[in-house]
This record gives sequence, structure tokens and C-alpha cells, in this order.
Amino acid sequence: MIKCAKVKRLLSRYLDKEADKADTELVESHLDNCLLCKQELSALSQVKGIIIRKQRKSLPQDYLVCRLREEIAGEKHTQGSFSWLTGMGNLAHRLIPVPVAAIALSIAFLLITSNQPVSKYSLEEHLLSGTQTTTETALALILGEQS
Amino acid sequence: MNEDILCIERFLAGEEEGFEALVRKYQDRVLNIVYSLIGRDRESEDIAQEVFLKVYHHLSSFRQRSQFSTWLYRIVMNTTYDFLRKRRNYTSDEGAIKNSVALLEGPREAVLTKEKAEIIRKALGSIPLKFRAAVVLKDIEGLSYIDISKVLRCSIGTVESKIYRARQLLKTQLLKSEGGAI
Repeated sequence: MIKCAKVKRLLSRYLDKEADKADTELVESHLDNCLLCKQELSALSQVKGIIIRKQRKSLPQDYLVCRLREEIAGEKHTQGSFSWLTGMGNLAHRLIPVPVAAIALSIAFLLITSNQPVSKYSLEEHLLSGTQTTTETALALILGEQS
Repeated sequence: MNEDILCIERFLAGEEEGFEALVRKYQDRVLNIVYSLIGRDRESEDIAQEVFLKVYHHLSSFRQRSQFSTWLYRIVMNTTYDFLRKRRNYTSDEGAIKNSVALLEGPREAVLTKEKAEIIRKALGSIPLKFRAAVVLKDIEGLSYIDISKVLRCSIGTVESKIYRARQLLKTQLLKSEGGAI
């Protein structure tokens, strides 16, 4: 019985001509004396025969090639569109600092100017008033400092 | 130089014809493996197409450490497993076997080849995928045990036991068909 179990494990390999010489001899000598294992081999051989003789499917020679050409062309087209979008995306990405910097500068300018006291007395008015204008006074008026 | 390698080199040099020659050479083999594993016509063609698309995109990463066919069959297996996983079709199809037995009821002479093919398809579909894959690679594609072990990434001993188990299960299923198939 132990031998039967061992031989049964080798039967598929033997059937497929994959068993080495020692295993082949072991199987063959056992099969000469064991009807059950012989029947098992016969059944396995029939199963193998049925699967081997199973109808094969066949495609027209260029059927799959044509389908693949279409699919690959479609992929390339899609990739092309995506690369255009990606290019636009990259451009936008590169240009982002420009509006950000402009907004930051605008805010800074507004903050600075809002803190500056507004001169109610301009340089022009000072000159028209006929009073003596020194460089210091002119600068103070230009910079918005009240004299 | 191996014919497949020449095709691959042509493709990598920019000639799509190299890839197309590989498709023409292997399309029926791929289709028959997939069909034997999933048993559905239309979807087998779609999976075969998906397999070759993967080949197209990844051929540059094929390092030629194994034969191209081994690499290709590995892609076939993975793509088919993915398909079945998505379809949750790993379980055995007992209903299909019952139908196959019903097909054989009646005079044996009346059983048509097409019906027998259907019985075999259903019997194959009824055994667990891990056993089915091994027996399909052996009996449909005619690979050696060592090549099957490379495709399925397992030892030769495992291949041997999977094929034996597959044939035992197939025998049981085919015998159920009242001697129609076996």
C-alpha cells in the first residue's frame, strides 16, 4: 500500500515522460504487479488525452494586431492630449510666482502708503506762498512730512 | 539568434513590425491558455489583447534572463488571475458540471463534438485555478515541468502534484458524465 501511494504520486510525471530513470523503473516494476495503479495510470492517460485533443481556438492572423494598433494609436493620442495639458500645467506652475509677487508688492505698497501721513501742504503750495524754501523743507514736503 | 529575440530587438530599435510578429506568433497560444482558464470567448480575446498591450509597454524591461515565452506566459497568468479576481470567479462551478452531465444524457451517438468540448470546458472550470493553471500549461501548451515551474514560480515538485491533482479532479468530473467523455 505504501508503495502504491508513492507510485501514484509519480504517475503524472511518468505519464508526461518527466520521471528520471530510477523513478521510471520503480513505476514500471510496480505497474507489472498492481492492477489498481495500472487502472489509475490508464484513467490519467485518458484525461490527458481528452485535454490535449480539446478543440483549439484560432484567430485570423492580423485580427489581434489590428485591435492592438487601434488601441496603441488611441493611447498615443490620449497621451498627446495629456502632454499638452501637462505642458499648460507646467507653464501655469512656472508663472504662479508672478501674480503672487505682484499681489504681495501691491499689499506692501498699500500698507506703507496707508501709514504715511498725508501732507496737506504740498511743495507747490509752499513755493507759491513765496516763503523761503530750503532743500530740507522741499524734501520734507516731498516725503510727506509736515513742516 | 533566437527568432523571438530578433523580433524584440527590432521592436526596441523602433520597428513596430517586430512586436506585431510576436503577436502573430503567440496570439493563438495566449488565447487558448486564457480560454482554458476562464472558459469565455469574448473575454478571452480581450484578455489576450490586454496581455499583448502589457508586452508592448514593458518589452524594454524584459531582461532576457528567461525565454520570452516564459515571460509572456507569466503575464498571461497574472492578467488572467487579475480578471478572475475582479470577477470573484475563484470558486468551483458545480452548477456547470451538473449541466455538463445533463448534456450527455441520451444516446451516446447523439453527443456532438461541440457538446463534448463544452463538457471539457466546464470540467476544467470546475477545478481550482491553481491546479487548472498547471494542467493547462502542460496539456494545452505542452510546457515542460521546469518551464511550468518558472511560469508559476513554484518548485517542480509542486508542479508535479498540481498536475496530478488536476487530472484526478478532472477524471472524477468527466466520469460523472456517464462515460460520455472518458
